[in-house]
Amino acid sequence: MSETCCGPGYASPAEAMKAPREKVLYTIAIYTGTGIQKPDYLCTIDADPDSPTYSQVISRLEMPGIGDELHHMGWNACSSCHDDASMERKYLIVPGVRSTNLHIVDCGTDPRNPKLHKVIDGAEIKAKTNLSAPHTVHCLGSDIIISMLGDAKGNAPGGYLHLNKDFEIVGRWEESMGDIKFGYDFWYQPRHNVMVSSEWAAPNTFMPGFDLEEVGHLKYGREIHLWDFEKKEPKQTFYLGEDGLIPLEVRFHHDPDSSHGFVGAALSANIIHWWKDAAGEWQWEKIIDVENEPHPEWPIPVPGVISVILLSMDDRFLYLCNWLHGDIRQYDISDPHRPVLTGQVWMGGLLGKAPEVNGVKVTGGPQMIQLSLDGKRLYVTTSLFSTWDNQFYPEIRTNGGCMLMVNCDTDNGGMEIDPDFVVDFGREPNGPSRCHETRYPGGDCTSDIWI
Amino acid sequence: MTTRTITIANRGNATYAVDAKKPLLDSLRDQGVDLPYGCKYGGCITCAAKLIEGEVNQKAQVALNNRQINDGYVILCVARPLSDCTFDIGVESHDRLYRNPFLDPLEPHELKADIATTKDQ
Repeated sequence: MSETCCGPGYASPAEAMKAPREKVLYTIAIYTGTGIQKPDYLCTIDADPDSPTYSQVISRLEMPGIGDELHHMGWNACSSCHDDASMERKYLIVPGVRSTNLHIVDCGTDPRNPKLHKVIDGAEIKAKTNLSAPHTVHCLGSDIIISMLGDAKGNAPGGYLHLNKDFEIVGRWEESMGDIKFGYDFWYQPRHNVMVSSEWAAPNTFMPGFDLEEVGHLKYGREIHLWDFEKKEPKQTFYLGEDGLIPLEVRFHHDPDSSHGFVGAALSANIIHWWKDAAGEWQWEKIIDVENEPHPEWPIPVPGVISVILLSMDDRFLYLCNWLHGDIRQYDISDPHRPVLTGQVWMGGLLGKAPEVNGVKVTGGPQMIQLSLDGKRLYVTTSLFSTWDNQFYPEIRTNGGCMLMVNCDTDNGGMEIDPDFVVDFGREPNGPSRCHETRYPGGDCTSDIWI
Repeated sequence: MTTRTITIANRGNATYAVDAKKPLLDSLRDQGVDLPYGCKYGGCITCAAKLIEGEVNQKAQVALNNRQINDGYVILCVARPLSDCTFDIGVESHDRLYRNPFLDPLEPHELKADIATTKDQ
């Protein structure tokens, strides 16, 4: 590990892979929509196998209000400011997607017991920027931008909230949303002056729950957008059509020189790959197609619903979760045009393949994942979004979510659920809660970008 | 001020006098009723309750589809009472609010108001 520079993160993806093993994990847990009138909270989980509290929640930081629906979160700084000795990866920005409140959590002072540093009130954000429903948080050098999925009244397309490093509202980041209809996730690759954004739906459409029929009425996304990153405006749109219904998680290669990136189309259950060709033109193709599965009691076959994808730090493996089927897949994408399935494990899901794992009834399916920097440990949680959980997995109200760990073979490919790691959120002190996104203090495979 | 009486059936038929012009969520929370809520603009469904008797104005809501409205659901953060009303509140009242769309599709007239067809079409 490089010690020559004092900034956060690592000099390169290869350096990041040599970082010490993660000792704690931060995972959000929600009570929104569960009937338990308690705040959502940030859990700290012991991930040190030599610790007596391994695989347990060791601290809980409650948010000040009820009903935030904590969802995704991001670091104040990452490897994008590795050269800036004045920066430190110390704060998690933890948005409430329903309340629009942004919680700034100090994880640096005592990593085992994070404390609330500041709250940016959702009402202030709506008043100053006409934005609501915060989702993805990325730092850009020292500044922070957050995709906001709606205007102040929950209509699409929303925009991007710009915060400075002191967590003050700068305003809207983008110069223009162009013809973009919806927002969701984004990732940038500065050496190609490009950002790619994806599309879920308007908050007023997805928050109450999923009406499949609304997809046909164009209430859900089916396009991805390439931005001129410096000009902060969209410059090209890929219409993915039926191959790309509800494109969600966006991942570029970690290699900052690469133009290759991927998005998981949740409802089509496809992986879409894009790249810049030799002539400098951006191209896209479908590289993975998960077949819908018949269900004995249902009139409509069940799509996988790829709720997340993730690339290993060396860009060799792509992981995806089929939240409704219940499997996690590992593909070798050494040739990004020709992925090879190298591993698959099952937990929960609607197909009944693995109703119980490590002694815990899995309610929900594999949903958010986070991979260790060395690529060997994949942490998995089971809740998607409170209202969607309630539709597809209503028993999650009484059972709660759970976290499992999958051991990944980085030499030959392959995956195996670790028999000794399970965090049962059904046994939380205030009652069953639901766990979602996970991050590590030292950075992880979905936060660090190199400029 | 026009006052309406709100009865919460699944809280032992407790009654509350509320201002007919104020959103029910605000009026009930001000009187100590512990209610879930999220967006506070009628879009996120967190505060949905089931109307058993009475009438409300919830024109500002955009969260419910027509089936949910026909099943009596009301978005408390924007709904005002037009008469005395009786509700079930909280997630215990959500038995018909959520459905698996692959198991139980909506008819065209059961969609949200902006895209629903009329039943006779």
